[in-house]
Amino acid sequence: MYLLYTLVAYQHITFLAGLGGSHAVTLGVGSCQGFSGSDELAEAFSRGPTGSSPGIGLRTRLGVTALIGAGVLGGWWYVRLEKERRSQLQRMEQLRQAAVGHGDFHLLDHTGRRRTKRDFLGQWVLLYFGFTHCPDICPDELEKVSDVVRALDAEAGLPRVQPLFVTVDPERDDVAAMERYVRDFHPRLIGLTGTPEEVKEAGRSYRVYYSAGPKDEDNDYIVDHTVLVYLVNPDGLFLDYYNRTKDDKQIADSIRKHMKTYVKLFPD
Amino acid sequence: MTAPNSDERRACWGARDELWKCLDDNQDNAAPCEKFRKGFEANCPAQWVKYFVKRRDFLKYKEKIQSEGFEPSDQSSKL
Repeated sequence: MYLLYTLVAYQHITFLAGLGGSHAVTLGVGSCQGFSGSDELAEAFSRGPTGSSPGIGLRTRLGVTALIGAGVLGGWWYVRLEKERRSQLQRMEQLRQAAVGHGDFHLLDHTGRRRTKRDFLGQWVLLYFGFTHCPDICPDELEKVSDVVRALDAEAGLPRVQPLFVTVDPERDDVAAMERYVRDFHPRLIGLTGTPEEVKEAGRSYRVYYSAGPKDEDNDYIVDHTVLVYLVNPDGLFLDYYNRTKDDKQIADSIRKHMKTYVKLFPD
Repeated sequence: MTAPNSDERRACWGARDELWKCLDDNQDNAAPCEKFRKGFEANCPAQWVKYFVKRRDFLKYKEKIQSEGFEPSDQSSKL
């Protein structure tokens, strides 16, 4: 209904070009042949769609139309904003739940202290899964992570990054073994281990695959595992991951960018 | 059994690199590299020796694929 009226009002404007009254029709006929056929139409329009009395001026009708139109538009705009706000709140709540629940772990650090993901909220975390008997890839990756942390540490104004190393070989990597191992890397590197179940749970949270190979006569074995470095933001949300092809400079660059664009999601 | 420490790892990798260089220089002929093979096996845990032998094959294969492209075998081309 409103729409129809608005449409008609719009035609008035195009036809009469703000001159008012039906004089414009004569003007139109005089100036342009093509308009002559529209005479009747124009007159019908000037009477208005609802047959309103000629006493109400065009300006009033236009004004009312504009007001109603603005009202409808405003209402629609408000509903849209409200809907957006509500979906944003909902999304935030989902994220908050994901941040708390997802990627959680309950492990012992290399000093024997119990640690969960909650302990690292508010910090940027670089997380790597591996094992201490690892021939080359784990030491390479941990060396790389250490280089990244050192490079970022050296830049004033950047928040500190906490490197974490979670074992996928809990049978051999007890607290003492982790303590010996982390010494070879960044001084802030924290080694995390636990019972096989706790480690499995931590690995599952990050979709880490690992599988111990066959044991040899020395009871030694290699553990095949996912080789990814994870970046977790201060809200505890997984943000990015880096595979073997990314070198320390590329990882540091990416983290810098993430830090720059980071917006704290959950105000305390 | 404790894991090799940083020095032991480095010693193993050094011995491995010497053997790999020798094999590269001698077109994978093992005989002239016997000395390096012994050094490699003395410096690395048995599991690592096995692992690095496979790893070299893998790296060589990867290099070949990257430089020459993948060539399907006769059998697969008939399919």
